[in-house]
Amino acid sequence: MKKLLLTAGLTALIGTTAMAETIGASIARFDDNFLTVMRNGMVDYAAGIDGVDLQVEDATDDVAKQLDQINNFIASGVDAIIVNAVDTSATEAMSQAAAAAGVPLVYVNREPINVDTLPDNQAFVASNEIESGTLAAFEACKMLRAAGKAGGANGYLLMGQLSNQAAVQRTKDVDDVLGMDMCNFVNIIDRQTAEWSRDKAQDLMTNWLSSGESFDVVFANNDEMAIGAIQAMKANGVSMDDVVVVGVDATQDALVAMQAGDLDATVFQDAFGQGEGSVDAALALARGEDVDQKVYIPFQLVTPDNIDDFLSKN
Amino acid sequence: MAEASHGVGGLTYDKSKRSWPNELNIFIALIIIIVIFEILGQVLPYMNGQSFLFDTQDRFNSIFNEARLRIIILQVAIIGIISLGVTQVIISGGIDLSSGPLVGAAAMIVMSFAQTELVNGNPNPKAVFGDWAFDLPVIIPVIVGLCFGAFIGAINGSLIAFTRIPPFIATLGMFLICRGIAQWWTKGQPVSFPTESFAWLGSGMMPVVWFILLAVLCHIALRYTVYGKHTYAIGSNEDAARMSGINVKRHKVLVYMIASMLAAFAAIILSSKNLTAQTGMGQFYELFAIAMAVIGGVSLTGGRGSIIGTVLGAMVFGAIQSGFTYIKLDAFYQLMAMGTIIISAVVLDQWRQQRAASAA
Repeated sequence: MKKLLLTAGLTALIGTTAMAETIGASIARFDDNFLTVMRNGMVDYAAGIDGVDLQVEDATDDVAKQLDQINNFIASGVDAIIVNAVDTSATEAMSQAAAAAGVPLVYVNREPINVDTLPDNQAFVASNEIESGTLAAFEACKMLRAAGKAGGANGYLLMGQLSNQAAVQRTKDVDDVLGMDMCNFVNIIDRQTAEWSRDKAQDLMTNWLSSGESFDVVFANNDEMAIGAIQAMKANGVSMDDVVVVGVDATQDALVAMQAGDLDATVFQDAFGQGEGSVDAALALARGEDVDQKVYIPFQLVTPDNIDDFLSKN
Repeated sequence: MAEASHGVGGLTYDKSKRSWPNELNIFIALIIIIVIFEILGQVLPYMNGQSFLFDTQDRFNSIFNEARLRIIILQVAIIGIISLGVTQVIISGGIDLSSGPLVGAAAMIVMSFAQTELVNGNPNPKAVFGDWAFDLPVIIPVIVGLCFGAFIGAINGSLIAFTRIPPFIATLGMFLICRGIAQWWTKGQPVSFPTESFAWLGSGMMPVVWFILLAVLCHIALRYTVYGKHTYAIGSNEDAARMSGINVKRHKVLVYMIASMLAAFAAIILSSKNLTAQTGMGQFYELFAIAMAVIGGVSLTGGRGSIIGTVLGAMVFGAIQSGFTYIKLDAFYQLMAMGTIIISAVVLDQWRQQRAASAA
């Protein structure tokens, strides 16, 4: 009898290990360019691993919906959950729900507020946001110095959605860099949000241009807004040689703008790498392996000098 | 309201407004808003006495700051085009919530047929289809876009006319469907790098040219054709319109088709202006288009309003948006101020209407 039970138990065990591992992922929104690259990174990577089944849901920027999705994943018995948080301050409830059910949870791209108190089988995979804005702003400062404008320069700052942590952080990074002795010659004339959008940035830049104030630099929280500003400046006859424009993300469109000599610097955030990293972490946690609770994928500065390394990356 | 209503539909429905056209009120409001910004510019200490509308720095060959005049209308031209269609829908007694997402979906589809093969000498990194879809003549993406718009509009109109579900629900459903289509088309990837001829459609001041051209066409259609008379008639009193022999169902389908085709055309111009199409495009456009029409004096109960009013409503929007940036108002306050202005505009219009009604 004992033997029979043991064999039954063993076969059951073998049965479960042979079964596909399922991961449920909830992404803040599907119509965001960067998150789409990250999502595709997850999907492609998971599809390449035998026996891993990845189900991706769109939280449509809705905090409540995201928590429902996580509870649905738990109810359907997934082996691990990946969350790209809609609201980084609302992650406590998600951590608790997953911990109570004993399901491993990985936060990706956006840093949860409880990142320092995560339960054992939860982790965070992302790039360190402080690097991105700082790298871009510092490069702009160096370019302005090289252009002999260290005696004083004016600039505009295009901010992302104000409710978004990355927009707040990248804006603060610019302020911090401009607070340094080496870069405090740059004066920000005005800062406004263009909500990450190219179209809004175009209109905003055109509005700024209509005031007729001269400026030397445009800081944008992301590349789409930098491109919008560039399009507006070109349409109004501003020479792109006279203005330093920096963005963040290193999207395909931005790299093309850089090749054309319009965009001066951007920062590569490895969206694909973050997607892959989150799947790796989720699988490791599901198998009970040890995982660092904070996995950082580094940012890299992209300028015309090293653009070739990034052309096929995002 | 219905005093002095004789003749067909809403054309001669209220003689009291003949002497003091509603459009004049909106025009006065526009002037007042501009004057307020002009005063703020002089009063606020950090503005250095810069003028809102006039050229105080001798940058242009006229007394006006031409760059400001251009952006005021340029930044509302695309939503303005949608608003022309929404105006007709609202006058006919309906509402269209699907126009914003339709812009997103149409932009994605249109841009897929407008891509160029080589970008800076490299193959297009965002190609949606194979080689056959590169460098097509510009007319093809335009026709594809308009057909898509007509198709969506026909569904909207048919649902409303034949299944008799409320326009709010029918177009709300279409709102979600179109957002879905926009995301499904390329699985969320943006579509970029159009041909030069396609890029021309929305370059520079072209959006304004299209807006004015279409506004004139719509104005003529509403004011001087049978189509317009029927639209006002249905919006004023649908039963009466039916009894007087108007094919109400067919006409409603037509109105929604025209509105959706205008929204699809706005998508063409928007994607051309930005040289890219993205699934999130057109967010809140449906609401701003409705707001422009309402500020322009289009009544949500149907039967009342005009294209001239809507165009002025759009310009009020443009002036406010440009003014906020001009006085460097913090982004946090902009939405609050915008909402307050929309509500006050409608409240003022209500008062004026009630006064006119009691005076008549």
